[in-house]
Amino acid sequence: MKRAIISFVLVVGLVMTVFAGGSQQSSSSTTAGGDKVVTMYQLKVEIKDALDAYAAEYSAATPGVTVSVETLGGGGDYGGGLRAKSQSGQMPDIFQIEGMGGYEIWKDYIADLSNETWVADTDLGFMVDGKVMGFPVAIEGYGLAYNADILAAAGIDPATLTTRSAYEQAFQTLEARKAELGIDAPVAMAASVSGGMWWVAGQHNLAAYWGGGLDFDDTSVIEAALAGQMDDARFREYAQYVQLLFKYADQNVLLNGGYDQQVGAFAQGRTAFLHQGNWVDPNLAQLGVDFKVGYAPHAFTNTPQTGLYLFAPSWYVVNAQSPNAQAAKDFLTAMATTSAGQRFMVEGAGMIPAFKSVTLQPSGQLSQALMAANARGGNYGVFFGMLPDGAGQNVFGPIYDLFAQDPDNLDQFIADMKAAIAGLPRM
Amino acid sequence: MKQNNWVNVFFLIPVLFAFTMIIVIPFLFGLYYSMTDWNGVRMVVNFVGLRNFANLFSAPDFLYSFLITIAFTLINVILVNIVSFALSLIVTSNVKFRNFYRAGFFVPYLIGGIVLGYIWQFILNNIFLSVGDTLAIEFLQTSFLSRSESVIWAMSAVNTWQYAGYVMLIYVAAIQSIPASLMEAANVDGAPYLTRIFHILIPMMANAFTISLFLTLTNSFKQFDMNFTLTNGGPATRFMDVPVKASQLLAMNIFNTATANRMAEAQAKAVVLFVALVVVALVQVSINKKKEVEM
Repeated sequence: MKRAIISFVLVVGLVMTVFAGGSQQSSSSTTAGGDKVVTMYQLKVEIKDALDAYAAEYSAATPGVTVSVETLGGGGDYGGGLRAKSQSGQMPDIFQIEGMGGYEIWKDYIADLSNETWVADTDLGFMVDGKVMGFPVAIEGYGLAYNADILAAAGIDPATLTTRSAYEQAFQTLEARKAELGIDAPVAMAASVSGGMWWVAGQHNLAAYWGGGLDFDDTSVIEAALAGQMDDARFREYAQYVQLLFKYADQNVLLNGGYDQQVGAFAQGRTAFLHQGNWVDPNLAQLGVDFKVGYAPHAFTNTPQTGLYLFAPSWYVVNAQSPNAQAAKDFLTAMATTSAGQRFMVEGAGMIPAFKSVTLQPSGQLSQALMAANARGGNYGVFFGMLPDGAGQNVFGPIYDLFAQDPDNLDQFIADMKAAIAGLPRM
Repeated sequence: MKQNNWVNVFFLIPVLFAFTMIIVIPFLFGLYYSMTDWNGVRMVVNFVGLRNFANLFSAPDFLYSFLITIAFTLINVILVNIVSFALSLIVTSNVKFRNFYRAGFFVPYLIGGIVLGYIWQFILNNIFLSVGDTLAIEFLQTSFLSRSESVIWAMSAVNTWQYAGYVMLIYVAAIQSIPASLMEAANVDGAPYLTRIFHILIPMMANAFTISLFLTLTNSFKQFDMNFTLTNGGPATRFMDVPVKASQLLAMNIFNTATANRMAEAQAKAVVLFVALVVVALVQVSINKKKEVEM
């Protein structure tokens, strides 16, 4: 008996090593060497070097303040990292949220920024109950990026791509002349669970259903979805567009590929279209792209659509509980209002600033296309941030993956999505 | 004897302290949080009883993860142990370079699941496809990782590749501890090779099987790292008429729930995994214990 108990305890003990998860709350003041240290924890890996350089420049120019930036993102678990920091009492002074989901979690820590000078200069501040709580990191956006050289060689004018049938024709032309144009497939689209590309399909592409063809701030479709309702006619049109993208996509990229394979296929001229946003500009530059690129709209209906999808992907927020909150706010203000800060955003990080007074032009071709679209107007809003956490990754992701495996099965895809949307209110 | 006990306790204190602080206490916290609505950050924590557990076994994705984990564990317990036992026989025979093989078979274990997952993803998604395209073998032209019926086997193969060398070492140690006189005597009596293995070798190393089965069982049940990098849960498949991730094992299901900020729900799933693992491991150990021979 005694032996049985000992072996039970030992087995339980060994097995328990899987689990850990505790909580501890402590606080620390962050000062070193007389300087106030403003700690910033951010998730945009692609701007890490530029931001580090700007933080150093700001620290040198501002006596008594040192800004230190830590970056975790891309495939990294930013939310988990931030949680670990808060548990260990090292909550950064500036951190990043990506929408309402993040705000709900961190609202105890988020300071009101309504009185900052940059607030009047932007439309994209993170608003809660009429108060500005977040500093828009940038304007990002997307349409269907195209390789102008390939389209010209195939005799397709990108300006005509404003309806689904126009796309269908263009894809057919490209498919028929694949060998001659030297491409593997018309579109670089990714939807695989294995590649972690649920966000391209279940988030960015699905945003066309939520907001495409509507006014920039018209949230009626997604509001209905959050109540469990799907607009059947509209969704069928959208689903046919998804089907088109999937059928004419490079199948290996679609079913197995990750971000690098998808962007790589387009950058090497092996596809004519790429379903990605302007954040690929630095990647395209790295990969030595010398052809002209631009954006065509995600026109999923046969009524013409011409707008691109524009949004602030994330916001910097200031830790209200930090003793350095004021210094953190000053850093953000300087970023938005000084010429050094604006140069960092545009020239260093290659972003499109969300501030109207900035006149600098980003160098990336897709960013320029977005800026032009922004000036032209008539763009569509992006509302996936209103969905419950995990909906894109754990619910829509597998549905798109399954549809990509068998794109002929349109009705099944629609039925799956209808069931998923009906389940949203319970999430 | 009494004094001896005190010395024992004294030497155990550092370990017990660490064990309590980083395993026992967090574990109890985890049990508590599984019955709350905590989101990982908020300071207000409401007790909700067993609500987090109530829906688990009607949720298709969790149920599927549970079943696929059991299947994965079964496949691996069998595959890893057969392969590693065979390897241990090879490297304890008179074959040339046996020390080199010993080291070689062990190397995959040193690489670690994350890197190994990426390596095999590249092999399965790119190299196999290229070979298939070049030689026009249709069987190889779709990746094993993008077929929901084969992905679990691909994962098992990689898992075996990783763990076989490690478990082999346990078997090698057990084989070497068997007195040579037993095998020689049997040999002189004219017992053929297979008879010697099944009637002397295997019964004599039954305790090694207990350990190896326990290790492979628990390791497969809580497999995460290789799962994460090799398949990331993909591709999708249909289960109970709902699209789910075909290779999302339990640990990864928990991880994906947690990263969607459903901390308490994820913790409830972890408790279920823990209970299942304890039950299975206890049954396995008690069965194996009966087969052991005392020297």
